[in-house]
Amino acid sequence: MTITREPTTAEIDALTDGDAVARAEHLSKVYGTGDAKVVALDDVTVEFGRGRLTAIMGPSGSGKSTLMHCMAALDAPTSGRVEIDGIDIDGLKDKTLTLLRRDRLGFVFQAYNLVPTLTARENITLPVDIAGSKLDVEWFDTVVDTLGIRDRLSHRPDELSGGQQQRVACARALIRRPAIVFADEPTGNLDTRAGVEILAFLRSSVDDFGQSIVMVTHDPTAAAYADRVLFLVDGHIVDEILQPTTTSVLDRMKRFELDGQDS
Amino acid sequence: MWHVTLRGLQGHVVRLLLTAVAVMLGVSFVTGTFVLRDSIDNTLGSLVGQASKGLDVSVRSVGTGEVSPVSVNGTSTVRPGVPLALVETIAAVPGVARVVPNLQGTAILAGSDGIAVRTGGAPSLGFAFTEDDPSFTLVSGRGPTGPGEIAVETDTLERAHLQVGDSTQAVIGDQAREVTITGEVRFGALFGATAVLVDSATARRVFAPDGMVDALVVTAEPGVSHVELRAAVATALPANLEAVTGATAQSEVETSMQQGLQFFTTFLLAFAGVALFVGSFIIVNTFSMLVGQRARELALLRAIGATRAQVIRSVLGEAVLIGLVGSALGIAFGLLIAAGAKAAIGSFLNTNLGSGLPVHATTVVLSVLVGVVVTVVAAVLPARRASRVAPVAAMRGDVGTLAGGVGKRGLIGLALLVSGALVLGTAVTRNEVSWLMAGLGAVAAVLGMLIGAPLATRPVVRLIAWPFVALFGTVGRLARENALRVPRRTATTASALMIGLALISGTAVLAESVKASVSSAVTDELTSDFVLNGGNTAPVPAPVADAARELPAVRSVAAVSFVNVQIGTLDTNVAVVTAADLADNFAIPMAHGQLSALGRHTVVVSETLADDRGWHVGDTVSGTVGSLTGEPLVVGGIYRDIQAFGSMLVDHSLYAAATPTSQQVDAQLFVRAVPGADLPALRAELTHIVQPYLIVSVQDGAEFADAAGASIDMLINLLYVLLLFSVIVAILGIINTLALSVFERTREIGLLRAIGLRRQQLSSMITIEAVTTAVFGAVLGIVLGLGLGIALQHGLTSQGLSTLAIPWTLILGMLVASGVVGVLAAGLPAVRATRLNILAAIVGSG
Repeated sequence: MTITREPTTAEIDALTDGDAVARAEHLSKVYGTGDAKVVALDDVTVEFGRGRLTAIMGPSGSGKSTLMHCMAALDAPTSGRVEIDGIDIDGLKDKTLTLLRRDRLGFVFQAYNLVPTLTARENITLPVDIAGSKLDVEWFDTVVDTLGIRDRLSHRPDELSGGQQQRVACARALIRRPAIVFADEPTGNLDTRAGVEILAFLRSSVDDFGQSIVMVTHDPTAAAYADRVLFLVDGHIVDEILQPTTTSVLDRMKRFELDGQDS
Repeated sequence: MWHVTLRGLQGHVVRLLLTAVAVMLGVSFVTGTFVLRDSIDNTLGSLVGQASKGLDVSVRSVGTGEVSPVSVNGTSTVRPGVPLALVETIAAVPGVARVVPNLQGTAILAGSDGIAVRTGGAPSLGFAFTEDDPSFTLVSGRGPTGPGEIAVETDTLERAHLQVGDSTQAVIGDQAREVTITGEVRFGALFGATAVLVDSATARRVFAPDGMVDALVVTAEPGVSHVELRAAVATALPANLEAVTGATAQSEVETSMQQGLQFFTTFLLAFAGVALFVGSFIIVNTFSMLVGQRARELALLRAIGATRAQVIRSVLGEAVLIGLVGSALGIAFGLLIAAGAKAAIGSFLNTNLGSGLPVHATTVVLSVLVGVVVTVVAAVLPARRASRVAPVAAMRGDVGTLAGGVGKRGLIGLALLVSGALVLGTAVTRNEVSWLMAGLGAVAAVLGMLIGAPLATRPVVRLIAWPFVALFGTVGRLARENALRVPRRTATTASALMIGLALISGTAVLAESVKASVSSAVTDELTSDFVLNGGNTAPVPAPVADAARELPAVRSVAAVSFVNVQIGTLDTNVAVVTAADLADNFAIPMAHGQLSALGRHTVVVSETLADDRGWHVGDTVSGTVGSLTGEPLVVGGIYRDIQAFGSMLVDHSLYAAATPTSQQVDAQLFVRAVPGADLPALRAELTHIVQPYLIVSVQDGAEFADAAGASIDMLINLLYVLLLFSVIVAILGIINTLALSVFERTREIGLLRAIGLRRQQLSSMITIEAVTTAVFGAVLGIVLGLGLGIALQHGLTSQGLSTLAIPWTLILGMLVASGVVGVLAAGLPAVRATRLNILAAIVGSG
């Protein structure tokens, strides 16, 4: 599935000024002090639209992962404000943050990160189990069938291919219908075909289930699945594309690389 | 490669320190034991040296027994005495300055509270006071001059809370009397014994009523050598007496004391061995896991050209360093233990053991050697496994832990366990127990259990974890799966605890069975109404039996003494009785012959002994009884095995002939009342009789059994304390394994936290894993311990251990305690895990 049509004005409005599922205001993240000081994020203000797939792109060290980690309550910003699903996470205790992650966020990692001792089914239901809540069986079936992993449910991670493991990870991220799913290079470890399957699923979960997703990637093809691409360089958001295509993303990337060489 | 070793150590300092601590605990036991032994040796040496002042030549009877044993249970053979009349003869020998008969016996002193001064198991000694005796010094007051006067040793006086000039009760030999303390004397360390001195005339009357003493102490005139004096004295002696130099006598005493100490040393070293053995499991586990975690690094080393031997050397190098560090810590800690034990023994025995902890070079060398060798041997297998990492593994990203299967090895273990158990079972159920076979069977069973434990991990851990899974759901299930992830590792961790608990439960089965056997012996065999006991170290004074027999309500009094009997390989202390009194107080079922056949030359023996030796009623055997050698003994009867008495009973007339009069004592009196007697009144009368004798107690059957149980309990408690060391080592092992496993699972834990596992849930998960592992070890240990304990009890049935008792409360307690151990062990690793930076954990080593 590729996006070829031009966005309408209404769609653009909805993406930028409409309902935001998460937002950051004047977000800065500084590592180290003195000579070793590294500014990973420099006064970033950004909103992520509800029911949208937003991609964050940028060269290594641009701060794209830091931005995502701060937005996902995995890392604390040096200054600035983060709001997730209407909740200001500034000053929240670890326990509250843990519950926030458990109840409102989903994660997909590059390295799958499944629990090796649990079966695929147990891995998927893990967030429900540790929350002690009841599994929505209908939703579980929908997700599992959409991902096509029903026949792999009783297998352990080491008996699954990379693509299958990542699909299990996707199912796990979605099982509690989180407000927002953070995907960190979800196709980074996969071959092209498996990668396309994962991206297609992420896209359809936005389109069909209204899921909000934020995805960090450096792959232009992956970014092309998004509704909107943010470009990060040296801790600043330097540009964005709405309804991107592989070509438009590639073009923009080349320009940044040239800029990088000039400066 | 050496710097690679050092780097390896630097990278895991905490983990390796924990391992070194395991080595340390084992080594500290070794060091502590040796230092304590050397320290006590020094004190003993000075004691014997002090006591032997003025002893230039000793005159004694020819024989092999110890000189002057003050013994209730006839622990060894005795020498016949030396007549006091010989003193004048020897005094006339040229070169003799002084001859002093060695007058000594039992003397019990009542403290200011009227209760006998406690000796903690040591004897209460009485000596003759001689003005110029160089073996002690008069500190204050004067020596005793009449039957109502005594001098008391300094420590004894202090413990009695008495002073020179005070009056108190004392039992000198057989005589209870009111005495006044006229002086204070000082000896060397007495190891808890009390010492009272009486005037020579009283001493002769009380300690040498038959005019015989065990030895004469001869002092030389100035300028006369001991050797010359010995030769001169020897010419004046009849054939049945001999003269030896003071040095010889002194070294004999020291040797015999050291032999006593040898047992103590061996005993402590056995616990050091257990602690080290348990510690070696931790070392194996730590190295296996470290090697597993460093597999990629090791593969890289191999890829760039390191040989297998180099990899092995690198791992073993780490082991040597840890062994050295552990041993050094162990020596330091061992000194602490020795100092503590010395202070404890000193205060328990109320004696000053002197200061200073002698550290001989051999102690240090041995401690270091033991520590390093154990560590290196334990690291050999992991090192070999490390060397088998394929160089290509460095190129692949998927090098995980080197978890081995459990299949073949587990089955070998199971086979060993089953065959060991069968051999052990056969050995102890045979008519004549084969202890060699039983020992081999037991060793095979223990090894089998150790090797086969991984096979048991899956089913047993699942069972143990079941309630946790039911209670904690996913957290419980995650914990269970973690424990099952590497079965061999879990099994090794659990094995450390298993060893300690197997020893504890096995010992407990034996102890409980002994108590039950004593109790059933009292119920089934004792027909007495009361037992009069002098405690373990002092006899019941002879007048007590006479007075008790006078009471109208008393039907009979059976006085039991003990004497050493040696026939061929049999060497045992047997009970001395008179047939009629015994039959009245004990139910003794005869298989052949009559109990009443007992006499001066006739003994009765147990069925087991008779079967074993092929003896029949009427047979004559020859043996040593007390001081009689080559004594013909007729088997007059054979009784069915009983618990109250061992394999033989001898008559009092034989005892009288075989033991010097001064050493003939009643160990216990059994009193049977006339039918229909008023028992409480009789008890009051008996209590009145024994009251002046300070330490003699009146017990009915139940109290007698309880008292026996209490003394067993005390011994068992000491064992538990020592075994606790191995349990502590095992706890360290669980901590170590968990810490390493948490480290291994950093990413996974990070992920669980990221998707919402609360800190408390994570901490529960690690705790459940630890508890499951610990309880698993406890279950294996209890099964093993029960098996060995029951087998041992079965084998000892004929020795009087006929009742099997299983200490269920203790076993339940151990299971609960092992759970607590798990919770404690989980503490540190859980804290570490909950403090993991989630982000760093996930992103970490991508």
